[in-house]
Amino acid sequence: MTAANAKAACNHKWSMSNVRGGYLVIEGCFHCGNKISFFSAEPVPPIDEYREGDHFWSHMGNFQASKFDLKCDKCQKNVPLKEVMALMLCMRCNPECGVFKAGSQEKGQKSWVYVALCANTSHASGKCIATEGIRVLNEYFNFGLQDRSKKIVVVPCELRKSVDTCQGIVLADVGLTELY
Amino acid sequence: MKVSELVKKGGFKAFNECVDKEILGVYISDMVSDIIGIGPGNLLVTLQTHKNLIAAANLVDVAAVVFSRGKTPTEDVIALANKAGIGLLGFDGDTWTLAKKLYELGVR
Repeated sequence: MTAANAKAACNHKWSMSNVRGGYLVIEGCFHCGNKISFFSAEPVPPIDEYREGDHFWSHMGNFQASKFDLKCDKCQKNVPLKEVMALMLCMRCNPECGVFKAGSQEKGQKSWVYVALCANTSHASGKCIATEGIRVLNEYFNFGLQDRSKKIVVVPCELRKSVDTCQGIVLADVGLTELY
Repeated sequence: MKVSELVKKGGFKAFNECVDKEILGVYISDMVSDIIGIGPGNLLVTLQTHKNLIAAANLVDVAAVVFSRGKTPTEDVIALANKAGIGLLGFDGDTWTLAKKLYELGVR
């Protein structure tokens, strides 16, 4: 069996790899209204305003966050999750939203839908997180759950109907500096 | 050790009723971005009492959450934890004292 075939046949057991801390930085263009986000590994996150073609990007906020890849402990296959900026728990605020509908499809399960957020928050480029990334995130977060009726469903953020009205909870360190 | 046994032995304050899960380990962190890297079944010790923490704790299937230094979660946080079946416990002392107590109680 070739190495490629072995990886294809492997019943993967994923672990986090290449974990790095930094900031989730969100910017908005007042010209077109689009929003973008990116991960900054700098000690201090950038807050500069800058022009990029027709866009004029302004800093909207930053939160401490971490990025990671997933690697199989058995076959060593590595799946880079470079497009994933953060995860967000769906609070089921809008029945018309594709994320809400994704959760409703899980009959008989205590399903919790988490949205994998990509850099193109407004999806102006038409791109989102690759299918393989979504698949391995689902495999990773569902492995070893104590409650067998519980299911974690990870979906790409392109399913989200509106970034402006979404009430999801982003898994980032919002307000950490306000602790004391 | 089950969460119910820990509450009984340690005299922790219980903010809600929860699914009585098995405690497979302990993880101490106040950063949501750090918590998402832990495995299922951990007892999560933290100072953070906001909803983001519950969202992360649910994702990694913690056994329960213990808030140290007398931190108290708000009603909406408790409601989300109830929905997720996550037990929320309270401890008046600091995190180091709590860590020692958990060890003495046999939580490893």
